[in-house]
Amino acid sequence: MNPKMDVAAIWKQKCPGLMVSTEAPILESHGQDWTRFTTPAPAAVVFPDSSEQVCALVQVAAGAGLALVPSGGRTGLSGGAVAAHGETVVSFDRMRKVLDFNSIDRSVTVEAGVVTATVQALARQNGLYYPVSFASEGSSQIGGNIATNAGGIRVLKYGLTRDRVAGLKVVTGRGELLDLNRGLVKNASGYDLRHLFIASEGTLGLIVEATLNLASPPLPSKVLLLGLESMDSLMKVFDSLRASLELSAFEFFTDRALHHVCRANALPAPFDTTCPLYVITEFDCPDEQAEETVMERFEYCSEQGWLLDGVISQNERQIRELWRYREGISESISHFPPYKNDLSVRVSAVPEFLQRLDGLMQKICPDFEVVWYGHIGDGNLHMNILKPVDLSLDDFESRSHEISERTYALTEQIGGSISAEHGIGMLKQPWLGRTRSGAEIKFMQQIKAVFDPAGIFNPGKLLP
Amino acid sequence: MKILVGIKRVVDYNVRVRVLNDGSGVDTDGVKMSVNPFDEIALEEALRIKEAGNAEEVIVVSAGGDECQQQLRTGLAMGADRAIQIQTSESLQPLSVARALLKIIEREQPGLVILGKQAIDGDNSQTGQMLAALWDRPQATFASKMVLNGDTATITREVDAGLETIEVDLPAVVTVDLRMNEPRFVKLPDIMKAKRKPLDVISLGDLGVSVDGNLKIHHFAPPPQRQKGIMVEDTAQLVQELKNRGLI
Repeated sequence: MNPKMDVAAIWKQKCPGLMVSTEAPILESHGQDWTRFTTPAPAAVVFPDSSEQVCALVQVAAGAGLALVPSGGRTGLSGGAVAAHGETVVSFDRMRKVLDFNSIDRSVTVEAGVVTATVQALARQNGLYYPVSFASEGSSQIGGNIATNAGGIRVLKYGLTRDRVAGLKVVTGRGELLDLNRGLVKNASGYDLRHLFIASEGTLGLIVEATLNLASPPLPSKVLLLGLESMDSLMKVFDSLRASLELSAFEFFTDRALHHVCRANALPAPFDTTCPLYVITEFDCPDEQAEETVMERFEYCSEQGWLLDGVISQNERQIRELWRYREGISESISHFPPYKNDLSVRVSAVPEFLQRLDGLMQKICPDFEVVWYGHIGDGNLHMNILKPVDLSLDDFESRSHEISERTYALTEQIGGSISAEHGIGMLKQPWLGRTRSGAEIKFMQQIKAVFDPAGIFNPGKLLP
Repeated sequence: MKILVGIKRVVDYNVRVRVLNDGSGVDTDGVKMSVNPFDEIALEEALRIKEAGNAEEVIVVSAGGDECQQQLRTGLAMGADRAIQIQTSESLQPLSVARALLKIIEREQPGLVILGKQAIDGDNSQTGQMLAALWDRPQATFASKMVLNGDTATITREVDAGLETIEVDLPAVVTVDLRMNEPRFVKLPDIMKAKRKPLDVISLGDLGVSVDGNLKIHHFAPPPQRQKGIMVEDTAQLVQELKNRGLI
C-alpha cells in the first residue's frame, strides 16, 4: 500500500471533519516555503479550522507517530516549513478569523492563519499601528511570524514580533491547549512560556491564536534614499542621522542590488550619480524643524565625503516609490535562486564585520555574484549569493555550503548570530553550533522533549 | 520663453481627511501637506520642456499664507528657477485665483502657463479655464501629452470619449492630467540650492485683486457611512431580504 495513502487514510479515519488533501499540486505548494533546495514530498496536507481540530489532530499524530510540519504563508527563507520526508503539513489557511479588537488594551486577537497585512490594516482602521513590516507581509501569516520572531524594516524603532506578542495559545505535543500570558502587560508569576514558543520554528507546538499589541500611529515621516561612498561611511552616516532624528528604519543595499531591483521592476535609477552603496532611511518629520535638521545632517555628511547624493520624499506616494528600491530586492533575485545568509552582529561591530566578510567573499568566491542588503541599524545583514546560470543546483548548493562554513566561522569570531530573523530551519541547522554553545543546544533539546515527547513537531528543523 | 506654473498647498492625497466636528472645515492640524499632485505633474512637464531647450525659465507661483512657501521651495528644489507667493490669509475661490494669476501673467509675460487640471481639495477644476478666458488666450485642459512646435503646441486631451488631439496657439493655458508624466524625486543638494533661489512675495491687495465673496461654504460633512452587508444562505433568503427592504 502506498504509504502516502496510508497517512491520509489515518487522518480521514481518526479525524472526521478535518479537511485533508493529497492532491499533487497541493502537496507541492504546501510542502515548501520560499527556499528551493529541497523537493517537497509531504504525505498529506491537513487544513484544521479550529483550535479543537488542531488539538485532536496532534493527539492522533502523537499516537500514530506522524511527523507534523506547521505551514503558514510559506514565505520562510530557511526551509522551516519544508516537508520533504512524508510528513503531514498542517496548514493554517483555514484559521483566518480575527477574534477580537480591544481599543483599551490596544490589542487584536487573531487566529494563526491571519495574514500580517490584515493585522496592519485592522490596526490602521482603528487609528493604531502594527509595526512589524517586511517584504512578504502580504502573504506571511501571524503564526509563522511568531514561530520565527519575524523582524523586518521597523525593528529599529518598534522591535521584533516578540515585542508585540501579549498572549499566545499553543497546542503542545500532548494535544493540550495552553493559554499563555492572556494579554497581560504585567505577569510576574513564573516562567513566561510564551517566549519559548516565539522563534521555536514549530518544534515545540502549534501556535493557534495570538494576541498582539498595537502601537500608536506613526508621526508623519519622510524617506531619504542616499548614495554612499563606501562601507566605511555606513555607520558614520547612521550615527550622524540618529543623533538628531528619530529613525524608524535604516537599511542599506549595494549597487548590484539596485541593478536587480531596477531591472526586475522597470524602475529608473533614483538619481544620476552611481554609488557603490545606498541607504534608505525613514524618520519622523512632524514639522519643518525636522526637515531643517535633515538638511543640516546631509550637508555635514556630504562635506565629510560620506555621502555622494540623495533624494527625499515629498509626499506619501514618493515614500512608497522609494521603498520599492529596497523592498523589491528579495523578489528581484529570487529566480536565480540565491543562497541567503541572514547574519547579525552587534551594531557597533557592523563595519568590521562587513569589511572582513567582503574580503572573505572576494577570496573564496570571486566567481559568484553577491548581493548585499540589510537592516543595518539592527546589525542585520542579508548576504545573497546568486547561482550562476551555468552551474547546477547541486553544485551550487555544495559551494554554498563551503561559503557558509567560512562565513559562519567569521560570524562566530565576531560574536554574531547565523540567523538574525529568518530562523535556522533546515538550511542553517548544520551550523547551529556556530551560534549556540553545546550546553545551550542540550537545554533546547531537553525543552523540546518536555513539550513534544513523541518528537512529532517539525523533525529535522532547528535542532540537531 | 518663460513658463509659469501654478501650485497649490493641499492635504497630502494619502492622508485620510477628517471633517472637523463643528463642520467648519477639514482638520489640517498636524496633517501632512503636499503640493497638489496635478500641479506637481504640471511642474515636471515645465521642467522637461526647459531641459529639452524649449524654455529659458520656469516660475512657480502659489497663492496663500506663508506656509505655502514650503511648497514653493519644493518647486524650486525640483528645478524651478524662481518662485512668487501671492500672499493672502483669505481662502480663495477659483475666480480670485485666476484674477491674481492674470496679474502675474501681465508682469511676467510667459509663453505658456501650465496648471494642474484641478486641486484635490476643492476638486473645482475651474482656475485654468477662467484664467484662459480672462487672459483671452487658448486653453487645453486635461492634457496627457504636450508637444511644442514653435508658436503652437499639440496637446493630447483626456476626454470622456477617449483622447482628443488639438493644436493651440501660444501663449496658452494648459491644465494637465495624471498620465502626463511621473514627477521626479527631489535631490537633497537641490533643496540646498533652492534656498538661494529667489522667492518674491506680493500681497493680493498689491496686485489689485479683491477677494471674491460670491461663493461661501457653509458646512462640511463626511460622506455617509456605508452600511455593513449581510451574507445570505440561499436564493430564497436573498429574495426575502430584498422584499423586506422594498427593493423588489
